[in-house]
Amino acid sequence: MIEDIVRLSGTRLGPGTLYGAIARLEQQGWIEPLPAEERRRPYRITGEGLRILRAKLTTLQQFSRVGLKRLETL
Amino acid sequence: MNSRLAHLLVFLYPRPWRERYGAEFEALLHNGGGGLRTWANVVWSAFHEHVFPTPGLNTEHSQFQSWCVRAPWAMFGLAPLLLLAAAYFVACFILWSGWKIFLPGTNTPFVPIDGLANFYFQVGRLIYFSAPIVIGWAIGLVAARQRLKVVWPGAGWLLIALIGGTAQVRASRTTVLSGVGHVRMAFALGPSVHGIPDGLFHGLVILSLAVLPYVIWRLQKALALSD
Repeated sequence: MIEDIVRLSGTRLGPGTLYGAIARLEQQGWIEPLPAEERRRPYRITGEGLRILRAKLTTLQQFSRVGLKRLETL
Repeated sequence: MNSRLAHLLVFLYPRPWRERYGAEFEALLHNGGGGLRTWANVVWSAFHEHVFPTPGLNTEHSQFQSWCVRAPWAMFGLAPLLLLAAAYFVACFILWSGWKIFLPGTNTPFVPIDGLANFYFQVGRLIYFSAPIVIGWAIGLVAARQRLKVVWPGAGWLLIALIGGTAQVRASRTTVLSGVGHVRMAFALGPSVHGIPDGLFHGLVILSLAVLPYVIWRLQKALALSD
């Protein structure tokens, strides 16, 4: 997961930061744990998590579109 | 990372967190690389989890929480008092030992001095002046974490500010030639400046600095709620 985040954002999260985020996302009900694979625990996004993520990404998309448009005029 | 070290790092987290995420987090640490950055990240995250627990996870009352409710006088009165006494003892010991080591012939340790001796005395000064403020921050941290009403933390802040403001260090040497140097503490309001006793003014400064982080936290919380 840490490597996936590096590929996606270029930032390497520390294990403490990653699990801090996982704990909060789970307690919010936005991700849920799957059965453990040996000692590893996979997670998957919930329906509520998908809704929130879609809303956030849409906001980001609008923000970047407007921001880039304004940059063109400078 | 070494499995024993990974196990040890997981133990820095609060028990409810460990019970839920401990095994998988330990596996992640064990499989991942170590290094100072990883350790620092885990130590900081564990500290953060103690101060600001994940909502919904730490529902059970810890021993610490129960002490805050059952004996707030001990948490916000006695404990800060003992901590402050310990800090003042260390500061006085540094002054006394520095006097003995670096200024054996002088009648007072309060003389201009340079080099290592100056650094040694400055450490004592730092402990002496910062102790009431740092303890005040700790009171605020506990109050914020436990979501307590401000009455008991307020009493703790006032107590610490009053002691910190009126505390004075006095050093004297016995009249016998090369007599033993004594360092002791006294508590007095001192002379008045513009009608305000010096000790009270210092107490107010300590109180303002000690309460500041808590006030900022309360303001931030109020602003977040009003958004």
